[in-house]
Amino acid sequence: MPSQTLTVETEVAGSLAQEVAERSGQNLNACYQCRRCAAGCPVGDDTGVTPDRLIRMVVLGDRDAALNNLLVWKCVACYTCGTRCPNSIHTARITETLKQMIKEQHLEPMAPKVANFHSAFLASTSHFGRVNEMEFMAIYDFKTAVNELTKGGGLKAIIADLKNQMQLGQAMMKLKRFHISIDKIKGVAEVKRLYNKAMGK
Amino acid sequence: MEIAYYPGCSLHASTALYDVQCKEVLGRLDVGLKEIKDWNCCGATSAAKTNDFLAIALPARNLGIADSSGYAEMMIPCASCYSRTLIAQKTLESDKDLRDKINAELSEKIQGKIKLLSILDLLVKKSKSGEIAAKAEKKLTGLKPACYYGCLQTRYPMDVELSDSIENPQGMETVCKALGAEAIDWGYKTDCCGASASVNDTDLSIKLMSNIMKDAAARGANCFVTTCPMCQLNMDAYQDKAGKQYGISERLPVYFITELIGVSMGIGALELQLDRHFVEATGLLRGLNLL
Repeated sequence: MPSQTLTVETEVAGSLAQEVAERSGQNLNACYQCRRCAAGCPVGDDTGVTPDRLIRMVVLGDRDAALNNLLVWKCVACYTCGTRCPNSIHTARITETLKQMIKEQHLEPMAPKVANFHSAFLASTSHFGRVNEMEFMAIYDFKTAVNELTKGGGLKAIIADLKNQMQLGQAMMKLKRFHISIDKIKGVAEVKRLYNKAMGK
Repeated sequence: MEIAYYPGCSLHASTALYDVQCKEVLGRLDVGLKEIKDWNCCGATSAAKTNDFLAIALPARNLGIADSSGYAEMMIPCASCYSRTLIAQKTLESDKDLRDKINAELSEKIQGKIKLLSILDLLVKKSKSGEIAAKAEKKLTGLKPACYYGCLQTRYPMDVELSDSIENPQGMETVCKALGAEAIDWGYKTDCCGASASVNDTDLSIKLMSNIMKDAAARGANCFVTTCPMCQLNMDAYQDKAGKQYGISERLPVYFITELIGVSMGIGALELQLDRHFVEATGLLRGLNLL
């Protein structure tokens, strides 16, 4: 992995570290860079940034690096980094916080499909109170298609995505693992209220 | 005995077979699963990655319903639902302000009474007491499962009391032993399959799954066994693709733990819905004279 030079801005360092520490509930200052997290991270090879590097970016106040790296998006929330950390720092919680900050600041997600996936999942939850796989995937596909058309790989990428999913969908249909009817709860208004409160609507 | 039951969205959709098996198998072990009424989605990893309030509030509503259900315990078979619900309960135990804020929105308030159980909590207890062995008519001789725990069965993003080892859990091995199956020792039992990355970051997820498949095959497993619906769906639905991409010839059936118990109890393949697997799941059992 190529080493990356991090810039220190002492004036902003404190504020970023404090915000992330408070929101994620993780004591970032306890990190002494032993890199046990890096050794166990299943996505580190693909992201070029391991949990220890991410903590360092935040501690040094490099806001740009902390909010624009692939670990925040590709983190699979396996929680290996946190359970192996000798100081119990859960970096997965930090990636969750940073992802929320990216959204609040209306920054472009580096992995739009991941962002679309999670927002589609929650939209489906808020509509019916439960996730309905067909509706959820339709929202996800629509968001992803719009994204590909405006910024990404265009029609070709959309077709490749849909083909991939159609194959899975057909197999699921054949095996009766696809749920066609809509599962809706009576208390959907209550769930919607919680969702709106969370999203500040 | 009867306990409350939270199936979660997966068990009402793509892994509905797990729901059927849980009720049937646990019923025969004298545990009646009573589905709590009008439960909602726990928010899974998506809520955790999107909004801290929602990540606690969604499972909190279910906790409120469970608290007023009259049952002392609630079993949650899905590793992700169990994890999110346990995190919500632990968080609300110590954060009174958040509890008040959420309770203000709920018709059934959180009281912090219900004790949460994972499926392994129940099954390990029933294995150690001898109840599973007593009901296991057929010993699963010749079955060599790679017990696959995935992430959320043992790892939590906060301190929680665990009855099993984080790095080398033995819960499923304990159940396998009671059934007469010879679980193999292997190195990828708690590695991640990629979870939702199979949809939104497919290449990454396929790579993670290929590592798991390679080790299981190299150690001589003839099937996987899991408790997590996400792991089951991924390892089952994407195994062929991962195998082709990474030159792995073995295709191993991916059983839910309830399927192995069910087979040993003599429950039929159709009743267990063993025909709903992507990687054919009855041939191995027939070859071993278990079906």
